[in-house]
Amino acid sequence: MRKFHTLAAAAVAVALLAGCGGGGTSPAAPADSSPAAAGGSGETLVVYTNSNGEGRGDWLSAKAAEAGFKIEIVGAGGADATNKLIAEKNNPIADIAFGLNNMYFSQIKAEGVLEPYEPAWAGDVDKELADGEAYWPLVKQAILLGYNSDKFSKDAAPRDWTDLWTKDEFKARYERVTGLGTATAQLVFAGILSRYRDDSGDLGISDEGWKQVEQYFQNGSPAVAKTDLFARIASGEVDMGQMPSSIIADREKSFNVNVETVIPSVGVPLAVEQIALVKGTKKKDEAQKFIDWFGSSDVQGEFAQKFNSMPVNKTAQAKANPDVVNFFADLKQQDIDWEFVQENMGAWVEKIELEYMT
Amino acid sequence: MSGTPVRSMARSPFVLVVGVVLTWFIAAFLVWPNVNILMATFFPDGSFSGRAAEKLFSSQRAMKALGNSFLLAVALSITVNLVGVFIVLVTHYFRIRGSRILFLGYASTFIYGGIVLAAGYKFIYGDKGIVTSLLVKVFPGLDPGWFSGFFAVLVVMTFATTTNHMLFVANALKGIDYQTVEAARNLGASTWTILRRIVLPMLKPTLFAVTILSFLTGLGALSAPQVLGGRDFQTITPMILTFTNSPTSRDLAALLAVILGVATILMLAVMSRLEKGGTYFSVSKVSSALQKQQITNPVANVVVHTLAYLLFAVYTLPVLLIVLYSFADGAAIQTGQLSLNSLTLENYARVLTQQSGLRPFVVSVVYSALAALIAVGGLLFVARLLQKYRNWVSTAFEYLLHIPWILPSALLALGLIISYDHPNPLVGGAVLTGTTVILLIAFVTVKIPFTLRMLKASFASVNSSLEEAAAIMGAKTLYVFRRILLPLVLPAAAAITALNFNSLLDDYDTAIFLAHPLVQPLGLVIKANTDGAEGVEGVANTFVYTVLLMVITGITMYLVYGRSGRKGLGKKRLRAAPPPAAVPGPALGMMSDDDAAKTAAPVR
Repeated sequence: MRKFHTLAAAAVAVALLAGCGGGGTSPAAPADSSPAAAGGSGETLVVYTNSNGEGRGDWLSAKAAEAGFKIEIVGAGGADATNKLIAEKNNPIADIAFGLNNMYFSQIKAEGVLEPYEPAWAGDVDKELADGEAYWPLVKQAILLGYNSDKFSKDAAPRDWTDLWTKDEFKARYERVTGLGTATAQLVFAGILSRYRDDSGDLGISDEGWKQVEQYFQNGSPAVAKTDLFARIASGEVDMGQMPSSIIADREKSFNVNVETVIPSVGVPLAVEQIALVKGTKKKDEAQKFIDWFGSSDVQGEFAQKFNSMPVNKTAQAKANPDVVNFFADLKQQDIDWEFVQENMGAWVEKIELEYMT
Repeated sequence: MSGTPVRSMARSPFVLVVGVVLTWFIAAFLVWPNVNILMATFFPDGSFSGRAAEKLFSSQRAMKALGNSFLLAVALSITVNLVGVFIVLVTHYFRIRGSRILFLGYASTFIYGGIVLAAGYKFIYGDKGIVTSLLVKVFPGLDPGWFSGFFAVLVVMTFATTTNHMLFVANALKGIDYQTVEAARNLGASTWTILRRIVLPMLKPTLFAVTILSFLTGLGALSAPQVLGGRDFQTITPMILTFTNSPTSRDLAALLAVILGVATILMLAVMSRLEKGGTYFSVSKVSSALQKQQITNPVANVVVHTLAYLLFAVYTLPVLLIVLYSFADGAAIQTGQLSLNSLTLENYARVLTQQSGLRPFVVSVVYSALAALIAVGGLLFVARLLQKYRNWVSTAFEYLLHIPWILPSALLALGLIISYDHPNPLVGGAVLTGTTVILLIAFVTVKIPFTLRMLKASFASVNSSLEEAAAIMGAKTLYVFRRILLPLVLPAAAAITALNFNSLLDDYDTAIFLAHPLVQPLGLVIKANTDGAEGVEGVANTFVYTVLLMVITGITMYLVYGRSGRKGLGKKRLRAAPPPAAVPGPALGMMSDDDAAKTAAPVR
C-alpha cells in the first residue's frame, strides 16, 4: 500500500502544480518553487558562456568571488547559447554572455538581445575585432590546418586547404567534418568560401567555390564520433585536419604526436571570442562592473597564462605564454568580410548539409 | 469493452474530473507551445512557403538518410522482438540453468545506453577490437572493418534496446494463467505449439506496445550510426539536430521531425487496430501462477542453453570494458590501447572534485524522480479511462497525448519558452521562463507518450470481470481503481517510473534551454565536461559519468524491483493459493527459480 501512497502523492503533486500555475506565487509544490523566483537571490550574475570547459568555469567563478562578484555560469555550446539568448529575449535570464565568437554575437545582436556598453578597457583592444558598440573582444583563436610533422616535412606538406583535394598524396589522408554545427567547422568554410565570392553565384559564391566544397567532402576521411583528430593522427588513420590554435600544444602531449600548421598565402581565419551585456538585465550596474573586471589586462593576462590563450588586450599579452604571442605576431590574418559571412552562413550550412555532405 | 458512447462516459464524475484536468494540460503544454513553435517555423513572416519540402526532397543525402532511418526502424521492430522474446523466455519461461545470472546480464541495458554503449561495442568488434583481433588471427583474410554499416548498427541497437522486453513482456508473461498451459499439454500440445498458440497471443498488447517503441528507437537512432554506421549508413537525426540549431534552417528540422512523427503515429494506428477486439487476460475462474517449463527435446535444450549464454556474453562484455576504460586516460580510450598498469582513479577524482560537486546529481535526481512520478501517477487514471472507454473523444485524446513523440525535444523546449515568457492566461497569467517549474513541465511532457503506451498495454491484460464483480458488490469507482486495478498494474507502473527516471537523469536537450541558472541538472555538467572540443579529458569524463549513472540507475532498478518483488511475494502468500507444483523438479532448483521470478511478480 505504501506504493499507492507514493502514487497518490504524485497525483496530488499534479494538482498542486496546476494550482501553482494558477496562483502564480502560491507556496505549493515545495520541491519546485522554493529556490525559484527568477534568479532573485541577491546580486548573483548569470553568465552564459561556451568557454567553461577544461576547468575554465570553475577558475572564473573562484577568481570572480575573490574580486567580490557572485556569478553563476551556465555553459552551453556556441549554437545552443546563441539560440537560448535569442529565445529568451522577451524575458532575459542571462546578465552577461561571453566566449562566443564574432559570428554568433553579430547574430545575437541582430535579434536585439544586446545592450550597448563601452567597457573601461575599450582603449586596450583593437576595435576592428568586434562591432565597437555592443560586443567587445577578449581572446583570439586561429582556425588552422594542422598536419603530422613526423610524416610530412614542411616542403612535402600542403600549403593551403585546397591542396588537400587537388593533390593525390593528401586525398583520404585528411579528416573532414561530418556536421557543420560547430563554430570551428563554420569558420573553416567561411575561410574557404570567402575566396570565391561572386554576387551572381548561388548564395554569393561562384560555382568554382561550390566545387571546392564538393571536393572537400568527396576526398576526406569522415570524422569519427567521440574520437579526437589527434587520436586518429596518432593511430595513423589520417595525417591532417582542422584545429583551433589553443588546443594544439596540449593534445600533442596527450597523444604523443607532433603537429605543424599550414599558413596559406591568403592567411588564416581568426575567431574572436567576445563579451557583451544582455539587454533587459536587472543587474546592469553589477554586470557592467563584471565586464570591466573580466576584460581588464590583469584578469585577461592571468586567464591567458592559465589556459594558453591569446588575449586581445594589449597589456595582457605581456603575461601570456610567449610562444603563443609570437605565433600570433607572425600570423597572417585572412581578410574576411564578416558581415557577408554572417548574412549567409545559415544558408551555406544548409546547402552543404543537404547537397555536399556524403 | 469497445464503443462506449460519449454521452454515457460524460455521466461519471471521475471521468469528468480527469477529463477537465487532462484537457487543460494538453491545451497548455502539448498543443499551444508546439503550435507556436511550428507557426514561427513554417510561417516566419506570416506566409507559408514550400521551401522546406522542396529543399529536402531534392537533397540526395537527406532522402538517403531518411530512408536509412526507416529501414532501421522496420528492421529493429523485427530483430528486437526476436531477441527480446528469446531472452524473456530464457529467463522467465523455460527452465534454464543459471537463469538468474543470465537475467542480470541481459538487464545490463537497463542501466546504460547512448554513445558510450556504441563505443563499448566498438571496443570489442571494431577494427581494433578484441574480438576482431582474434578473428583476424583465425581468418587472415577478414577485413578488420567488418563491423560497420547497417549490419553493425542493427546488431548494436538490437541488443541495446531489449530493455522494454525484459521489463514489460516478462511482466506480462508472469500474468499468464498456468492452467491454460497445463490444459494444452494434457491435450498433447508440444512446447512449441503451447508457446505459439497460448503464450505469445497473451503477450500481444505488450508486444504491440514495445514494437512501437522499437520502431521509434530506430527512427530516432543517433549515436550508433554515428559511431558504427560509416559512410554508407548515416541516419536523419544528426541532420535534424544541426538544422534545429540553425534558426534559418529550423523549418527543415521541423518538417523532418513531422515526417518521422507522422510515421510513428501511423505505426501506432496500425498497432491499435491489430490490438482491438482481442481478449488478453485469462478467463478461467481460478488462475494459477506460471511454472517454468523444461525443454524436453535434448538437442533443442542444448541449442537454447548455448544461445542464451552467447547472448549473455554479448550483453555483458561492453559493460565490463566501459567500466575498465573509465579508469584509463583519454588518449588510451581513443586509440584503443589499454594497459592494465595505466588504470588510475584520476578520472573519478577529477570529475567528483569539481566545484559543482554532487549538486548537479542531486538536482537531476530530484527533477527526474518528480517528473517520473507525476507522469506515471497522472497517467494511471488517463490510461485506465482510455482503455475502458473507446470512442472518438478518447481516441482524439490518445493521439494528442503522443505529440511529444513528433517533435525533437529542443523544439519542444523552444516552444515552451516562446509561449510562456510573458504572462499567459493558460497558466493563470504566470510567467514560466526563469522558474524551476518549466523544466519539470517539459520533463513530464516528454515522458507522457511512453508512459501512456506501456500503462495502457498493462491495463489491457487486466481481467475486467474482477472490476465488474467489485462494482456489483457496491464498490465506488475510486475504490475499485485503488484496490483492484492498481495492485495489478503496479509492477508495470513501477517499471515505467524507474525507466522514466533513468532516462531523464542525463537529459541535455531540454535542460539546456529550460534549466534555472541556479538549479542546473547533471546533463549540462556532463556536456561541459565531455564535449568533443573540450580536450582529451572529455572522452574519459564521458566514461566516468556513464559509470556513475550506471550506479544510480542500478540502484533505482534495485529499489523498484527489490521492493516490489518482496511485496509481490508477500501478497501472493496472503491472497493467492499456492500454485500446485505441476512440474516436478529438484527442490533447490525450484527455490532459485522462484527467486528469479521475484522481480516484479504480479499478484494473481
